[in-house]
Amino acid sequence: MLVLLVGIFLLHITTVILLLAATIHNGWWVSSILSTDIWGRWSLIGSHWNYTDLPSSYPEGYLQAVQASSVLACVFSAIGLFVFVAQLFTLPKGKRFTFSGIFQLLACLCIMIAASIYTDIFHKDESNAEYGPSFILAWISFALTFISCVIYFVLRKKTT
Amino acid sequence: MSLDLTPSIPSFLLHSLSLLFISGAPGHSGSSGCPRGRPILAMLTLLVLTAALLLTAAPQSEAIVVYTGWERHALVGSDVRLSCSFFSWRWTSDDVTFSWNYRPDGAKDSISIFHYTGGAPYLDNKGPFRERLEFVGNPSRRDGSILIRNVDFNDNGTFTCDAKNPPDIVGRPSSVRLLVFEKVPIQAGVITGAIIGVVLGLLILVVAIYYLMRFLVARRVFTLSMSKHGKKGKGKEGSQPRQAGPSK
Repeated sequence: MLVLLVGIFLLHITTVILLLAATIHNGWWVSSILSTDIWGRWSLIGSHWNYTDLPSSYPEGYLQAVQASSVLACVFSAIGLFVFVAQLFTLPKGKRFTFSGIFQLLACLCIMIAASIYTDIFHKDESNAEYGPSFILAWISFALTFISCVIYFVLRKKTT
Repeated sequence: MSLDLTPSIPSFLLHSLSLLFISGAPGHSGSSGCPRGRPILAMLTLLVLTAALLLTAAPQSEAIVVYTGWERHALVGSDVRLSCSFFSWRWTSDDVTFSWNYRPDGAKDSISIFHYTGGAPYLDNKGPFRERLEFVGNPSRRDGSILIRNVDFNDNGTFTCDAKNPPDIVGRPSSVRLLVFEKVPIQAGVITGAIIGVVLGLLILVVAIYYLMRFLVARRVFTLSMSKHGKKGKGKEGSQPRQAGPSK
């Protein structure tokens, strides 16, 4: 039981870390001289990496929606971690960790919205670069938060 | 800044307060006809004298402060109003003057485009703003705003307003930058912040309502057990499982 709890806790922490990495690192669209989205653009000019704003050709509304939902996913997952720890000590025997599950579900939804909008709207016809680490981490954390939320909905507390 | 006056105000208050305490102390009223009237009268005259002294002594520390915006954003072809007003300890005199200068982006020199003096505005009739300027201010209300019609990309630059209220003429002019856009950009982060704020607000609202319902239902359960008739229909859906009693 303890091993299971530690595993679930580690899974949750992993999702928080991956979500933070995907949100903060500007690496959704990457090439050898470019690393861009969702907050700014790093371009290699000469031998120097320069940080500039994203080009104004990006659809503003969609970009800010991606920013907002990825930040919200981080927030929900972090709150869910605290709620899980709190429920660990206060939940009566036999009950499910529904509250933590709900927060992980919300995080899963938000990061899914962010990654989907990004995949569908940005860089659709470009081929000079590829999807970078932050993009991959976003989709991986979608999968992990989903698994985590299912575990919370299924898990029952064995001891008081 | 003209607020050099403020160090003297606390000391003035201190003086009047000390006077209050001294004259309010018992034993000072003496045996005269109206024991309370004389110290208060003396205090009031002292207050009035000090205030008058301060107001006349104020000119040493005053300066005129001019206010304009920091930046103005405008669409190509629209009209933009550049506001300018000032703060001065003196009454608005009849010789108040406003002048606007324009310095294009990247240029070093500025040209004068507007001047208001002697009760009449003088608009630019030779420079880049000929026939496009209009004076929309009210000098008696300390407002020296101008309106530029039909802005273009060449109008990007810094506009400086200088106001003078004789004899209050010492002060710094204030500048406003004009930025002309083809389409007004959404400021970075407005939509992001709005979405985050709304969702988190909804979350807090839902959690608050959930706990409120639990609290209310707990109270209803208490009143339900008190009076058995008539309150059954008012029970909420969640109240049934909470009545951990014979009703299960």
